[in-house]
Amino acid sequence: MSEHHVVVENLVKTYPGAATPSVDHVSFALPKGEMLALLGPSGCGKTTILRMIAGLIEPTSGAIQLNGREISQTPVHKRNMGMVFQAYALFPHMTVAGNVAFGLEMRGVPNSERGPKVQRALDMVKLGHLGDRRVTQLSGGQQQRCAIARSLVIEPELLLLDEPLSNLDAKLRDEMRDEIREIQSRTGVTAIFVTHDQDEALSMADRLAVMSAGRIEQIGTPREIFDAPANEFVAGFIGAGNFLSGRVTAPGQAEIEGLGPLRFAAPASVGSRVQLMVRPHRFKLAAPGPNAFTGQVESLVYRGQILTLAITVGGRRLTADLHTHAGTLPAKGDTVTLAVAPGDVTFLSEAAA
Amino acid sequence: MSRTLWHFLIALLYLFLLAPILVVVIVSFDTRQYLAFPPESLSFGSYAKVFANQTFISAFGRSVMIGLAVGLAAVVIGTLLSMALVRYRFRGREGVNFLILAPFLVPHIVLAVGIMLVLAPMQLLDSYTGIILAHLGITVPYTVRTITMSLMSVDRRVEEAAMVHGATPFAVFRRITLPLIAPGLIAGGVIAFLISFDEATISLFIVSVKVSTLPTEIYNYLEVSTDPQIAALSVLLIAVSIVVVIAVEKLIGLRRAL
Repeated sequence: MSEHHVVVENLVKTYPGAATPSVDHVSFALPKGEMLALLGPSGCGKTTILRMIAGLIEPTSGAIQLNGREISQTPVHKRNMGMVFQAYALFPHMTVAGNVAFGLEMRGVPNSERGPKVQRALDMVKLGHLGDRRVTQLSGGQQQRCAIARSLVIEPELLLLDEPLSNLDAKLRDEMRDEIREIQSRTGVTAIFVTHDQDEALSMADRLAVMSAGRIEQIGTPREIFDAPANEFVAGFIGAGNFLSGRVTAPGQAEIEGLGPLRFAAPASVGSRVQLMVRPHRFKLAAPGPNAFTGQVESLVYRGQILTLAITVGGRRLTADLHTHAGTLPAKGDTVTLAVAPGDVTFLSEAAA
Repeated sequence: MSRTLWHFLIALLYLFLLAPILVVVIVSFDTRQYLAFPPESLSFGSYAKVFANQTFISAFGRSVMIGLAVGLAAVVIGTLLSMALVRYRFRGREGVNFLILAPFLVPHIVLAVGIMLVLAPMQLLDSYTGIILAHLGITVPYTVRTITMSLMSVDRRVEEAAMVHGATPFAVFRRITLPLIAPGLIAGGVIAFLISFDEATISLFIVSVKVSTLPTEIYNYLEVSTDPQIAALSVLLIAVSIVVVIAVEKLIGLRRAL
């Protein structure tokens, strides 16, 4: 028996006629109540994984366990899952309450118990007063809420969300993001959601799995993924980065081509080649000195809170996000010095020279 | 100027299309015992005679019954075929698709001979089973078309949502798919009913006395006499079609259904 609520082991999906598998030996495990984000560019297989867990696609091989029970051969309707679809997929011929009641009805819940449960679920998503509306009369955000109520009213073992926010406009997206997170932690339901939006994944998930080409590149907490990315793909997909490769000349110091020495806070043996990265917002304006690079401002974007600028140093471009303030800000053509603390340099990989 | 001319041409075209119907309606009120235009004096006499004619009345009843049976059966068969054609990829799918639509391409007189030759050895000529089977052959292509259109517009994700939330495949069909394709079913059923109700060519080969339909009785009547009763009967046939179409339009909106 596993202590984990959901266990996915060596899951593979190869579509007939495809040369490479869409999902390639994916494994992960979730404790009860956790929210996992599957994050990756489109076509990386994240939705396929979700649909295999739901039972809508049959895996080529691998195991899916829920509550210690193997479910990959269980028919879809017996898996007891809740799912929120990208375009909501509400039943267009039913009312809001009818949509929410559907799962209960299919489970044979008597009419007298159905009413109060539906009302509670609708209240939870703030649609309590709209139960009699047809779903086609709802706005996008309301449809989204209705879809969430429909999937939670059945008290599912697992909640699956397929790009739940991608059809909403920016303002509503932030609002629903907090709301989904809040509802998830209040109900304590274990959840897996699929997204291609890194902000969404970082802010909503307890842990995230970054995927590319059918494989999980790294799985960890948002902080682990952001500050200790396993490789260049993860580092580049989550946030931006200045990638710097060089040779270790002394413990904690590397010689970067074109830039000079850079100190970093990770163990690496002298003489090996290392791949380092500096996040743009980790640079600060400073006076010339150690771990500082001086160059001319080549481009500049003022974004209110943040000033993004790029300088050229030794034929190389460095990007920095600086917090703005009321005083004088660098202008195009100015010579500025950007410094980074050794602890803020992200260590990616090491290879023998 | 050219605009006026254009309107005039369109009006002429409509007149050309509607003229036969108008003539039939006017002639149906004529008092003379032969078909001629224009009428000399008008009355409801022909209509009274039609309603007093027991042959016509019982043939009308049989036509309605056959039409209802054909409409219902064509919708059931059409639904099953459409589900198979839209939802499953099987070998010979294109072939089945072509076979279903083939009756559109073959002249009814040719179909009629073929159907007669098939039904005769089965002792099904001049029987309800025979005429209903014959009419199904020409109406199922229509129901398959309207139901296929409806099915293709159903979002698979909606059916998947029902499945995930606990519906068995049959429950998905009954609670989700069926209500969503209902307009297509009704449209197909109405078209099948009207085709069966008006059909003469094939019926003439299949039926004789026992299950004669209204169109075949009109034909039989025309062989011995041509009087305004035929015109009155034609007007009544047109009226039935119009009533059915208006009823559907009022109930669900025919344009939505088609």
